[in-house]
Amino acid sequence: MGKINIYHLYPAHLNLYGDRGNMLALCRRANWRDIEVNIVPVGPGKEIAFTSCDLLFMGGGQDSDQKLVAEDLKRRHREIQKAVQENMVIFAVCGSYQLLGHYYTTARGERIGGLDIVDLYTDAGRGRLIGNAVISCSLWDPPRTLTGFENHGGRTFLGPGVQPLGTVLYGFGNNGADKTEGAVYKNIIGTYLHGSLLPKNPWLTDHLLRKALAFRHQDTALRDLDDSLEEQAHQAAVNLAARRTHK
Amino acid sequence: MEAEKNQQQNHHDSHKKAGPIGIRHLVAVWIGKTLIALTRILGRGGTTLPGRAALAMAPGLSYVLAGRLSRGTIVVTGTNGKTTTAALIDGILEEAGFKCIHNQSGSNMSWGVASTLIEHSSWTGQMDADIGVMEVDEGAFPGVTAGLQPLGVVVTNIFRDQLDRFGEIDSIRDLIQKGIDAFPPGSFQVLNADDPSLAALTSGKDVKRWTFGLELELPPDEFLNTGRDIKTCPVCSHKLEYTRFYFAHIGHYQCPSCNYQRPEPDLKLTSCSAGNEGFNRIRISLPEQKLEAELALPGLYNLYNALAAVTCARALGIPGPLISRALKKATPSFGRMERFEKEGREIVMALIKNPVGANEVLRTLLNQPGTINLVVAINDRIADGTDVSWLWDVDFDQLAGAKSRFTKIIASGRRAWDMAVRFKYAGFKPEQILVVEDTGRAIEEALEQTGTGSELFILPTYTAMLEMRGHLNKMGLGSPYWEGS
Repeated sequence: MGKINIYHLYPAHLNLYGDRGNMLALCRRANWRDIEVNIVPVGPGKEIAFTSCDLLFMGGGQDSDQKLVAEDLKRRHREIQKAVQENMVIFAVCGSYQLLGHYYTTARGERIGGLDIVDLYTDAGRGRLIGNAVISCSLWDPPRTLTGFENHGGRTFLGPGVQPLGTVLYGFGNNGADKTEGAVYKNIIGTYLHGSLLPKNPWLTDHLLRKALAFRHQDTALRDLDDSLEEQAHQAAVNLAARRTHK
Repeated sequence: MEAEKNQQQNHHDSHKKAGPIGIRHLVAVWIGKTLIALTRILGRGGTTLPGRAALAMAPGLSYVLAGRLSRGTIVVTGTNGKTTTAALIDGILEEAGFKCIHNQSGSNMSWGVASTLIEHSSWTGQMDADIGVMEVDEGAFPGVTAGLQPLGVVVTNIFRDQLDRFGEIDSIRDLIQKGIDAFPPGSFQVLNADDPSLAALTSGKDVKRWTFGLELELPPDEFLNTGRDIKTCPVCSHKLEYTRFYFAHIGHYQCPSCNYQRPEPDLKLTSCSAGNEGFNRIRISLPEQKLEAELALPGLYNLYNALAAVTCARALGIPGPLISRALKKATPSFGRMERFEKEGREIVMALIKNPVGANEVLRTLLNQPGTINLVVAINDRIADGTDVSWLWDVDFDQLAGAKSRFTKIIASGRRAWDMAVRFKYAGFKPEQILVVEDTGRAIEEALEQTGTGSELFILPTYTAMLEMRGHLNKMGLGSPYWEGS
């Protein structure tokens, strides 16, 4: 029986697109295998050491909230940077995915400095990229699909040392141009996909759980679960995304 | 009253421009009216197609027709409570002797407004009504109102709703501000003082602002507290402090950094107590008088809706006794806790569309005694919101806490599988979850397992509600909305 400490960064501020679903998926799928999960909410200004964190979850926020947390995050920069070098797992969605990079520019043209942890940056674009999306993700061999919903004004571009999370099959991805979606760097996964992402893509949830267990050298074998509902939901969402047409 | 009458008169002069209607607009009216007739013969309520077709022919048609209403148009927008608030305003105005038209099916995009106007215009484009009460989608608000030259606007609140269309909450506020900026001098605006994002809206020149708010001693409603949308000051982004907190971000707030604070409301609801036969007795304090009324609509939400409608009625100068009389007659609107009966089984239909509203519905449902039969039908069309991630912010986990009280719960609609997964992660066992994508079959399945004397709850998103209402009509339950209730 393992134990995972999940730190939930700014749950009151970064909770825009059903991020609760991602947390719930991690907890349930761990608990169904008798793995204990300890959730530590981290609010702005709260003094907390990341030394006992296995998995850091960061959700999406709207511009005004994101500015507020960006300030707080900068104070923690060194600590997070160190944990990342030691291979702590980070899962970041939408707004906080952008915050991991060098900077992002808001819809109102304001440039907000990021954590500088992953070599990526985000510019503002004309119009928002909105809709169901499916990507082919090579965390697995053969690759598996991930499906979610994207809604972002920012266009994110990856530096040379950063792998995309997947290749866009349907939807826009990082910037609507280069067919990449999300980013993988060390044990960090960043993505624009919500929906919530993890419940409908249980293989990604399990991937994160395994990485989190491995971080503290725990047994990473996960018992198989009956995922028939999740798989049907995944397939139904893929079918809907395949039918959509973009303007 | 005299002063108020003059005030009304000033508003209305600009609306009387009933010259002959142009041929293009006339043809558009004919197309619209023909399509309305056809869709009804086919047994559907046409609120989308007729308006769309007519607007394609003549994009300015709504403005031309609305301009022929002798008193003008009142627009109701915001995230939650639009339909109920608009229905209450309509009821008060009718009580006061005005002839109103109202998009009561909740079809609140530009084509819905156009369909309503076309339906009530003659074949020659004359309008047989005094006032239009139009609920307008907050995203469509600037576009729809720009040419309407409305008499006034009521903004109920801004919550996290269909972010896929509008971007984020900041952008919804910007949209509403943009719409309000185009209001003509002499018009009025009615705003919820307890919503920090609304009180920061600015008014144009010569626009009279009315605010309303609750002044009740109530404990914060934790159940409704999942939609924590705007916690930061809309002026300086600092975290807001609350002295009274009702739910979500609604309450008595102030910013410790820039001193932005809840304005003193013009109308305050100061007391609410249980009265006879399920009525709430409410007391509203107006600038110059007190008003007592009985309200049959349940919940904190409806207190805000009623207060918004009363404030609008006061802005129009309608006397207190008429307002009280109209409130007492109010019944739940289209798809908002509507009740049907089928062979001793009661069917309750309640629209869900965002976390705060859905939680209110779930609480009502959990307050029922005995076994609960439940269908949740989720569509992801534009009118529902194409992003279903909000389901994860709804407190379905509370239902799972009482799962032994449920028979098989049914997930239906285009996103039935998403809903089924939501139920599973809320804590229901997969064996207790039944997926029936077709909404008609879902009702049949649900009725089969609903015993005589017990209740079936149907919680659909907007377009799923239209579908399911159609199915119920076919079963001889309720009447199609275009025939009224």
